[in-house]
Amino acid sequence: MPHQCTTCDRTFPDGSKEMLSGCPDCGGNKFQFTPKRPQSSTQREEGRQRTSGQSMTTDDDSTATGDSAIPTDESASSEGSPPGESSSFGAWPDSARRPADRSDASLTESDRVESGTHGRRQESGTDFTGDSTGADTSVSAEEENAAQASARSDVVTRDELPAHTRDGQHEDPLEGTAHEAPPETHEGRVVSEPDEERPSLDELREELNDQFESIKIVRPGQYELNLMELYDREEYIVSLQEDGRYVIDVPDSWRDGDDH
Amino acid sequence: MGLISGLRDSISRVTDGLFSEQEPKRIGIYGPPNAGKTTLANRIARDWTGDAIGTESHIPHETRRARRKEGVEIERNGKSVTIDIVDTPGVTTKVDYEEFTDEMDKDDAIRRSREATEGVAEAMHWLREDVDGVIYVLDSAEDPITQVNTMLIGIIESRDLPVLIFANKIDLEESSVKRIEDAFPQHKTVPLSAKEGENMDEVYGNIAEYFG
Repeated sequence: MPHQCTTCDRTFPDGSKEMLSGCPDCGGNKFQFTPKRPQSSTQREEGRQRTSGQSMTTDDDSTATGDSAIPTDESASSEGSPPGESSSFGAWPDSARRPADRSDASLTESDRVESGTHGRRQESGTDFTGDSTGADTSVSAEEENAAQASARSDVVTRDELPAHTRDGQHEDPLEGTAHEAPPETHEGRVVSEPDEERPSLDELREELNDQFESIKIVRPGQYELNLMELYDREEYIVSLQEDGRYVIDVPDSWRDGDDH
Repeated sequence: MGLISGLRDSISRVTDGLFSEQEPKRIGIYGPPNAGKTTLANRIARDWTGDAIGTESHIPHETRRARRKEGVEIERNGKSVTIDIVDTPGVTTKVDYEEFTDEMDKDDAIRRSREATEGVAEAMHWLREDVDGVIYVLDSAEDPITQVNTMLIGIIESRDLPVLIFANKIDLEESSVKRIEDAFPQHKTVPLSAKEGENMDEVYGNIAEYFG
């Protein structure tokens, strides 16, 4: 899990909104962020288990159609995408938005090709069971979608952040240059490309500067400030770290702690 | 509005006697770096409480954390106002350590820049959350029409906060109060030299009137 409460060690998935109002267990408001994500492979594992469970029940109903769906998938992948990638993308229509946003044209295209294949499969009269076999991945992926993708987008939405960060001071990964973005980018692609290359630190800094431009770190000791942005934010940047991270304080704890 | 705030003040004066915890108005001293905000804050605090607030310096960004002097009671012409003075770091849109490398070594200059940047964030936060009125200090020897001044005064206006513009450093030859009055005709401009203590009577009269 990327986020861990430093008081009780409870962990939270990346993008979890729970921790935004303090740890539900111990009320702690400091969290550490672990860029490495062993959790995602675990979740994928769980997803696979769920999938296989559902596949079994499907198989009980009709093995033949289940079988027919598999070659279709293979034919889909043969159209240009690696098997893992194509099935993930094809079965993940809602969240496809995120990977597509971040991916290059070819990825988007493979996505399109894949959904086209799905369309053809349905048109070609694969019956309900076959379809649901195809949807096995879809079910697990959608759960992942619900748990992660929506939470992810919630975190990314700047407007929402202050409203939910009422009583907790934490080092907000959102504001971090070095540590936040890799999981973010990575997370968006994890289903399709588990071990993709990471963008360079400079690129990330650039990207984050564009997104969160209240303080732009030109280089250490040189800063450009966006006064409107600083004024408009409810959260308050307490300190700048050498590596470009911010420590921010959120409204309530700031009011309680006038002395710092 | 005037009637309501007058009423509120009367009530708060009564309750002041009953509950000493009554919060006075918080007046933020804002302005660009090196306008003389801390010198002014110290002048006010020394005149009315005997204590200073912070260290003054000719090097920009000496004040890098907002400092508050609480319960400063100012009396003028029978009017009395108790305020918390918040001396804020100078607000700017660019901080560059190379500005200070003549005065200190590189590491200190970089640290000063970082703290100054944090200070601006803090000052903007105070402005948003915790200030009831603003004294906007300008160096009258400098051109007042800058991005920072225009933006900050715009923000203050958008919040409908009472604001006084202090044209500081009138002891300098190049000083031009008129330039400031022309730049911000919508606000009352008070000329002064916080360093020399010039025109402080008018300063206190206006504080009592505007924030009382």
